[in-house]
Amino acid sequence: MFLALKEIRHEKLRYGLIIGMIVLVTYLVFVLSGLAYGLAQQNTQAISSWDASRVALDKDANDSLPQSLITDATAKKVNMTSHEAYLGQAGVVAKAKGQAKLSAQFLGISRDQFIYKRVKVASGHKPVKANQIMVDDSFKDNGYALGDKVTLNSTNDKYTIVGFTHNAKMSVAPVVYGSLKTWRTLSHVTSDYKANGIVSNDANFSTTHGLSTLSMSQFINKLPGYSAQNTTFTFMIAFLMVIAMVVIAVFLYILTMQKLPNYAVLRAQGIPAKVLVTTTISQALLLVVGGLVIGATLTLATVLALPAGVPMSFNLPLLGGVTAGILLTGVVGALIPVKIILSVDPVSVIGG
Amino acid sequence: MPALALTNVNKKFGHATNEVTVLHDISFEANAGEVSLVLGPSGSGKSTFLTIAGGIQTPTSGSVIVEDQTLHDLSGKARDALRLNQIGFILQAYNLVPYLTVKDQFKLVDRVKPQGNLGAAELDDLLAQLGIGQLVDQFPAELSGGQTQRVAIARALYQNPDIILADEPTAALDSDRVKVVGQLLHDLAKQHNKAIVVVTHDLRLQEFADKTYMIMDGKMTVA
Repeated sequence: MFLALKEIRHEKLRYGLIIGMIVLVTYLVFVLSGLAYGLAQQNTQAISSWDASRVALDKDANDSLPQSLITDATAKKVNMTSHEAYLGQAGVVAKAKGQAKLSAQFLGISRDQFIYKRVKVASGHKPVKANQIMVDDSFKDNGYALGDKVTLNSTNDKYTIVGFTHNAKMSVAPVVYGSLKTWRTLSHVTSDYKANGIVSNDANFSTTHGLSTLSMSQFINKLPGYSAQNTTFTFMIAFLMVIAMVVIAVFLYILTMQKLPNYAVLRAQGIPAKVLVTTTISQALLLVVGGLVIGATLTLATVLALPAGVPMSFNLPLLGGVTAGILLTGVVGALIPVKIILSVDPVSVIGG
Repeated sequence: MPALALTNVNKKFGHATNEVTVLHDISFEANAGEVSLVLGPSGSGKSTFLTIAGGIQTPTSGSVIVEDQTLHDLSGKARDALRLNQIGFILQAYNLVPYLTVKDQFKLVDRVKPQGNLGAAELDDLLAQLGIGQLVDQFPAELSGGQTQRVAIARALYQNPDIILADEPTAALDSDRVKVVGQLLHDLAKQHNKAIVVVTHDLRLQEFADKTYMIMDGKMTVA
């Protein structure tokens, strides 16, 4: 560590450039990870808040909630307990006098079922009448307030915002919670239809009667665009990590090659190869940790500067994984030239 | 028992028609308390002789014994330890780390060999004797050739080794400094019982040597 620190302090420009490169890579990986996770969150926030395990949809709906319709007759065949809840989904455009239009996902739920009970109120209260709605607090960010009368799509019916809920998004759109009756109106279906799907928080829930039952992860993966988007981000981050590894490894290799004459002199004096290897690895770790800290600080500054609408969020396991990956990259990069250090020939620095 | 003994040492490089014999049947002894001078022109095999004596290279045949230890029998790690603890090298490459100040060059030695080095007062005396006491905060790039060489000498002596192997230690020094370095090596041999081997083509060092050898085309003779 002594040699590693002394060299970094002495060669400020050279090591500054390397740290700068690691900072940029780290920053890019953090920001992309944040965006990937943020977007994934905005697809599933509302669903996650119910803490549900299974979903039953029409067997011909290709596992898609909007394409599924459950008739009243089918619904009556399903053993509905306190663990199950009907769910109706409709894409809507919400508008209120003097406010901008907002695209949203309307979710029709029943007051006496578990989804309604699990939805948390940030301000106001849960809807108790058919003409009342509770909306995601991004409505508030767009100027909507409690008591605002809202129309949904082209209907003339007015719905009153009686509550806001925090972080309720589905398919990257804010959620509007309302009644199943309203859902029928918005979906233009008669009372012969009960809902789009049945959600259960019982891990063993299963039903037939023309329905197929999915686990929640299967259901989420079938959300429109969800898998494609996550796969894209995962590949981008993975490729970035591989490129980062190669770039960092090349830099460390060049650095080590430049130091070989010094190492040869030290080896001639009996300085153990272990000391030189430790120096090289600790120097790589110092550079990577320094780059990580600055990259993380820049990412934090970016998050604070970005408008609220940008879907960026972080979770500790993801950040931990990314950080560990970059650290591992540094260690691997530093380990590549170790063989060269071990075989450095002290004779090379002694003239003839 | 000599501190350093080479017996019938040969060193060849290359194979078959490309084979070159750099050292021919060298036998040499260096005793504690003596300065041995090995004179020879460039390319005569002086440095190869020195690297074999210090365990950096192995001979093609023959044996090297350093303080009762046959180098051939030692592992790479043991040879490293021997060089660190018992042999001080003064190299043409000046053996200074470019990103360490003069002071830190000695700290590095302390880190890898915490015991047996010179004390602070002894180091101050040594630096003063070599006329570099005021340079402790300088980096090698800020020193002249002569200053660098003197720091390299101090760096090698700081380890307080029993044997000092010096490769052209006075190449960059003026006559006054040659006398200082020559006298220093002589005093170290006499007062501290060190075995000192200097390979050089600098005849000015001859007056400080107890024994002088000539090396020419890989063959050593007593001068």
